[in-house]
Amino acid sequence: MTSTLAHTTTGFSQEAFDAFLAARDEPAWLSDMRKSDWTRFLDLPMPSLREEEWMRTDIRLFKFDRFGLPVAPQSVPADITKGALNNGDGHTDMPRTLLADGVNLGGRVSSLDSHPRGCELAPKWADQGVLFGSLDALVAEHGQRLRPYFEQRIVDPAHDKFSALASACWCGGTLLYVPKGVCVDQPFHSFSALSAADGGGGIDLGRTLVILEEGAKATLLSETASTCESGTGLHCGCTELLVGKEARLRYVSLQNWNTKVWHFAHQRAVVGQQGKLQWTIGALGSRLAKVNQRVALTEQDAEAQVNGVMFTQGRQHLCYNTHQHHLAPHCHSDLLYKAALQDHSRSVWRGMIQVDPPAQRTNAYQRNDNLMLSHTARADSIPGLEIEADDVRCTHGSTSGRVDNSLIFYAMSRGYTRQEAIRMIVAGFFQQVFDRISIESVRDALGTAIGQRVREL
Amino acid sequence: MSAFIQAAQETDIPDPGSMLVEVDEHLIVLVHAAGHFYALDDLCTHDGGPLSDGHVDAQQATLACPRHGAQFDLKTGAAKTMPATKATTSHEVKVENGTVFVRLNSR
Amino acid sequence: MATDLTTDTADAMLAGGHEINKYNFVTKTKGVFRARKGLDADIVAQISEMKDEPGWMRDFRLDALKIFESKPMPNWGGRIGIDFQDIYYYLKPTEGQGRTWEDVPDEIKETFDKLGIPEAERKYLAGVKAQFESEVVYGSLEEDLAKQGVIFTDTDTAVREHSDLLREYFGQIIPATDNKFAALNSAVWSGGSFIYVPPGVKIEFPLQAYFRINAEQMGQFERTLIIVDEGAEVHYVEGCTAPMYSSESLHSAVVEIIVKKNARCRYSTIQNWANNIYNLVTKRALAYENSLMEWIDGNLGSGLTMKYPAVYMMEPGARGEILSIAFSSAGQHQDAGAKVVHCAPNTKSRIISKSISKNGGRSSYRGLCKVEDGAVGSKSSVVCDALILDSKSRSDTYPYIEVEEQDVQVEHEASVSRIGEEQLFYLMSRGLTEAEASSMIVSGFIEPLVKELPMEYAIEMNRLIELQMEGSVG
Repeated sequence: MTSTLAHTTTGFSQEAFDAFLAARDEPAWLSDMRKSDWTRFLDLPMPSLREEEWMRTDIRLFKFDRFGLPVAPQSVPADITKGALNNGDGHTDMPRTLLADGVNLGGRVSSLDSHPRGCELAPKWADQGVLFGSLDALVAEHGQRLRPYFEQRIVDPAHDKFSALASACWCGGTLLYVPKGVCVDQPFHSFSALSAADGGGGIDLGRTLVILEEGAKATLLSETASTCESGTGLHCGCTELLVGKEARLRYVSLQNWNTKVWHFAHQRAVVGQQGKLQWTIGALGSRLAKVNQRVALTEQDAEAQVNGVMFTQGRQHLCYNTHQHHLAPHCHSDLLYKAALQDHSRSVWRGMIQVDPPAQRTNAYQRNDNLMLSHTARADSIPGLEIEADDVRCTHGSTSGRVDNSLIFYAMSRGYTRQEAIRMIVAGFFQQVFDRISIESVRDALGTAIGQRVREL
Repeated sequence: MSAFIQAAQETDIPDPGSMLVEVDEHLIVLVHAAGHFYALDDLCTHDGGPLSDGHVDAQQATLACPRHGAQFDLKTGAAKTMPATKATTSHEVKVENGTVFVRLNSR
Repeated sequence: MATDLTTDTADAMLAGGHEINKYNFVTKTKGVFRARKGLDADIVAQISEMKDEPGWMRDFRLDALKIFESKPMPNWGGRIGIDFQDIYYYLKPTEGQGRTWEDVPDEIKETFDKLGIPEAERKYLAGVKAQFESEVVYGSLEEDLAKQGVIFTDTDTAVREHSDLLREYFGQIIPATDNKFAALNSAVWSGGSFIYVPPGVKIEFPLQAYFRINAEQMGQFERTLIIVDEGAEVHYVEGCTAPMYSSESLHSAVVEIIVKKNARCRYSTIQNWANNIYNLVTKRALAYENSLMEWIDGNLGSGLTMKYPAVYMMEPGARGEILSIAFSSAGQHQDAGAKVVHCAPNTKSRIISKSISKNGGRSSYRGLCKVEDGAVGSKSSVVCDALILDSKSRSDTYPYIEVEEQDVQVEHEASVSRIGEEQLFYLMSRGLTEAEASSMIVSGFIEPLVKELPMEYAIEMNRLIELQMEGSVG
């Protein structure tokens, strides 16, 4: 395999885009979509601090001109040997994964700096019509089948400059398509890495598209990482999840970049009749993250459980805007975000439950708990409700506080060091959300990752 | 103790006047008033938004937030009027040979 | 098109159970002086001159006008469709402030008769400041309080007679730059109460005031300043009412309160403006060491209310409590709530908000809980409950929680639901109609706030809610 890629970014100029497009092997309808989204990207201004969504997230230090579009993506290796993607073996330039350890996977795909690095799919799923792997390759091969999903614009490209860029220039993406009635009992794994840069920064424009048709079942574990601690980078991506009638999707998305990466993401799930979605977000890395995570329950009896696990330190600024939209009756949504904050870091969680007039018999819940591990950290919590149906039960709650000193004292009197005591208490804090995550390996991985980050207070 | 970092030229900022600069990945408002230079975090502690573009009162030695008018002391960053109640961080400034240097105070 | 009800018509409506319309009437006022419509520096200067104000207040008003003109309209909250040039900003109805009931002109007495002021006067209330068309025309101060050094007068008089005391605090808690409507009020304010309670003086009974918007297109811009000195206690009650009009009317008040060390202050409001009124108010209190500030805020009327009474806890041990009710029906939007800001250690706050939306009304809770860096040991609890009574109505909650300190306890909870079916059926099985049962449940829902009000207000509140509920079922 190749050694570390040299950085070949060329800015976000029209020439760069034209070259980018020319190098891709894609159906014409897709190129056309990209072109119109590119125009949008150029026309839209940078978000202003006066906008409600950006008021608490100052990105004036983010400069687009320090990054650029990746040039001439490599073609996806035609030969995939099993085990070639195991925790970076075979690819000595890829960082370790957290979620794939010891898990019996049904398939895996990875990318580095937006370039696909290989994928594999167990034959038993491929034989049942499951499509999994590099979105870039699969859209070239199955364009007609995938076109309607692209055209649905599950994520609105016009939302802001970042969604427009993600839509116009996505590459190194992941597709999971599960046909009607197929139940996949092995999780899939998707891994995106960013490498360090001298001068410029690595860029990840990964797009994730997950389609579960009627009655399908699948689990996708998705994570990101940086090859080293100190290089800057940019992620500008979008994630679209379509959970069909009576389908079941468990989706885990772990953002674990180093603390220099700028992370802008637009994510949206649409859940159909009697569909069930369990969506777990882990947010550990990035210098600044601005994520819009939206779930739309569009048909009767749809259900969504959203779990958020956040740990911030240093001078990180993580802003997660969530949205639970009830458009149909008898739906159930339940969101729990827990954040622990250390040093001078800051979290902003803004959550909205919106219940439209037809959505009678809605049950919608939202909760955010913040554990302050330092007196210089800051947590902003803005739960919101906009309710236009009357036969509903909607609640939200938010708490912020510190580790109970008496618990630390108790643990230390039992022989634990102060740091161990705090680690246990932090683990206890996250337990409630971990209990909701039904994938053991994910619980363990998140628990370990957080434990390693807890310092002595 | 961090070092003094070059921020601007004296002549860049009229008196009274202000300018937004980036110092070691921090956004700072440099203020020139009554012959002195001052440096404050570009942060109004009332609503978390920027102070740059705010009115400089050379006599009172204050910088007012453009949105709700809270006044901050140029030297200390102290909040002098409602609706701000907390000081914004002020930084050390020195001028040498026509260049304005800022030493960031840790917060 | 002002409605002009004779006593007969009023009685007929009362008999028909439309008591709420008792307040929907207009008395034709002669008025002595009315500034022309519109808002500019000349009008503002004229207002200052008519009030014979010192130069500093005139300058304050003119600066505020410039600030008002430079600020944009808020891009959140309700829809505000006001033409600021289409309003009269000042009307002076009589020559001077009447000292006793006999001094007050007959037609104004009529108005007050209908509002029940003589009854209130007979009861053991300290002093009553009544506002008519921007000027306080009737007031009396209990000798008792005057002897203790309590000052309870209208703000205009205070500017002239208690200038130094007033000037120390006026515009310091809510500067003109604070928001567009504070700037407007700062430019054209008229009337309102000025209260000073000296150290250690505890006033046992509530001080009250009534307001009235009467003439078409009239704005109300009262400005209230309450200073509660160390160890003192006062309860101030503000209640107001207005007739129905077809054109807009604007109520943009500012209330500033200082509660010094070990003092207590409670400010209760029942607002029942008619649906053509914009009620855009800034209310803020600064609470010092070990003091307690309580806002009791009842919003029943107006077409759009935007009001968020605030307590800033400035020194250790300060406490803030805010009880808020919003009731909105057809054509109404109550965008109300509360703000608590913890600026010192060991401060405590509590917000309880209850809102009801029916018949297409929209009630929104909007609030802030902010704990600043250094406010160690602070505790805050916010509970917002909303009842949404039918599928045409809407309920929103927009709470903002900002925590900058580690050693704190901050909790927030909100819920939206309709009246529980089990509760309803239980009451109906006991012989109540659905309307009566709903009404009882709603009264129970708002009981925590109502029980904090002086008795006659509590009774009025409950009656008003009952009447509102009657219209909502069947």
